[in-house]
Amino acid sequence: MEITLLLQGGLNGVMLGLNYGLIALGLSLIFGIMGIVNFAHGEMYMLGGYVAYYLVGRFRFNFLTTMIAGVAIVGLLGALIEKTLFRPLTTRPKQALTSLIAAVGLAWVLQMLAVICFGELDRNVPSAFKGIIHMGGVVITKERLAAIIIALVLVSVLTLFLMKTRIGMAIRAVAQDKEAAALQGIQVSRISSLAFGIGCALAGAAGVLMAPIFCVSPFLGGEVILKAFLVVILGGMGSIPGAMLGGLVLGFIESFGSLFFTVPTVNAITFVLIIIILIVRPQGLLGHE
Amino acid sequence: MNKRSTTVWIGYGALLGLLLTIPLFTDEAYVFHILCLIGINIIFACSLNTILNIGELNLAHAAFMGIGAYASTLLVMRLSFSFWLAMPLAMVAAAIISLAIGFLTLRFKGAYFLLFTFLFAELVRILLSNFWIGLFGGIPGLTNIPRPSIQIPWLFHLEFSSNKDFYYLILVMVVITVFVMRRMDQSRLGMVFRAISQSETLTESIGISSMKFKILGCAIGCLFAGLAGSLYAHFVRIITPADFSIHAVLTPIAYVVVGGMGSVFGPVIGTSFLMILSHFFLREFGLYELLLYGVIIVLIIRFMPEGLISLPRVISPWFGKLLTRE
Repeated sequence: MEITLLLQGGLNGVMLGLNYGLIALGLSLIFGIMGIVNFAHGEMYMLGGYVAYYLVGRFRFNFLTTMIAGVAIVGLLGALIEKTLFRPLTTRPKQALTSLIAAVGLAWVLQMLAVICFGELDRNVPSAFKGIIHMGGVVITKERLAAIIIALVLVSVLTLFLMKTRIGMAIRAVAQDKEAAALQGIQVSRISSLAFGIGCALAGAAGVLMAPIFCVSPFLGGEVILKAFLVVILGGMGSIPGAMLGGLVLGFIESFGSLFFTVPTVNAITFVLIIIILIVRPQGLLGHE
Repeated sequence: MNKRSTTVWIGYGALLGLLLTIPLFTDEAYVFHILCLIGINIIFACSLNTILNIGELNLAHAAFMGIGAYASTLLVMRLSFSFWLAMPLAMVAAAIISLAIGFLTLRFKGAYFLLFTFLFAELVRILLSNFWIGLFGGIPGLTNIPRPSIQIPWLFHLEFSSNKDFYYLILVMVVITVFVMRRMDQSRLGMVFRAISQSETLTESIGISSMKFKILGCAIGCLFAGLAGSLYAHFVRIITPADFSIHAVLTPIAYVVVGGMGSVFGPVIGTSFLMILSHFFLREFGLYELLLYGVIIVLIIRFMPEGLISLPRVISPWFGKLLTRE
């Protein structure tokens, strides 16, 4: 095995892993705050992809504007959904289940709306970054490098936000104990909206980043949510480093696995591996009880 | 027998009579095709409801239906068992596998059990699609599954080859399932399940092993999932791994939640309502069919979280207001 091939696989693994991590981070944040398994999370990624398709592909916007627009549109949509659909369900009995089904229904609605508005064909999204870079024997396109760097920036910003700012601390407080947080004067409902919006925005950002590398289609969400679930299981619910570590592990398994085995074998190995991890350590690699 | 239960029994009788006489009104194979599918889905939704009753959501429930379907098909086609023997064996197979899974995973709390069952569902799909293709048929699945028949030498011979005949078989199975579910719901066992779903700690404090009963509840649910799978395989006559993937369980969950979780008739009402809606009324809308379907589900959950079964309770205050205004 040549060393360059390994490096190439490693770079691809990092790119996939960071973006899986971004998506899973949002899923995990929403679950931590509201106890909702957001089945419509993959659709947020899909919407991010379409923002990139229209702004970069059709209207020739530059990358930064597209990214900001993608994060803002998907984030606001997330906050709106939380306010109108999920929050009224939180006071009802069996909230976890009803909100799960509400999310499933929402995923269908968004998917069909996408088919109706954007068409059901796969769309290629032109990249805002053109060209390739040679590093030793390793070749990487600029768009992939950008995806790695921007994902890293987003995760760092989010970590700083959650750890250092007052609002970030409030979010963590609500995730730990709703009642205690409310007693400290934190408005739990506002924090919920905000966290839901941030979670969705992260998936939207990943969508904008990955759209030029893969295609966009209305049916992207289903596959993406499966990956995000795997990452969350690996890393542990509600843990930021866990989501990133889980994302990287999955990215490396997929990237290196496909060098040595067929895709179904890689998938079967991944699932068996994750099931074993879950049985031995149900809280995930870095999660808490 | 008091007055209320008499009316209830008359109601059941009338409903059953109506269902039995449907063949007098129509002859269309399509109608019976859909009715059979509704019946199979009712059995599946009831079995899912059993597991929801112990306070867990099993995302691999369709995989257990798949285990039933593949077990029954392979027994009939490869080992030439009779359908009437293969069906109970398929049910038992699904239940036994669920026992093993239950021992391993029911100690996980809340979301982790859900995530594990999600992994298990995907693993079953991957194994059925890509491995032992000679046995399981790979992604295209198994085809030409025979319809069952009853043959008692010199007495009679009954083929369930037409959709209309199969409808009676399904009807019998649905009645048996609902009857068992109702008896279980009213028994001590049903009470223990409800207690566990409300508070595991309190249930254990009065000396009930919640783990034991959760495993039992899961196995009972999977037993009926196996039944639904076996009936599905021999009715549709083609099974593929995709039929039992994670996506295949989301629609039935919607049936249960829309109908009303926890009650015996909730899943029955939810399944009938949504399936009749989507197969007989929304077909005209083409592209908008799934969109409307999703919107209806979201609206029902948003405004009637306890499901359609709570409709009389939701509406009655309005009627009350109307009456007092007069």
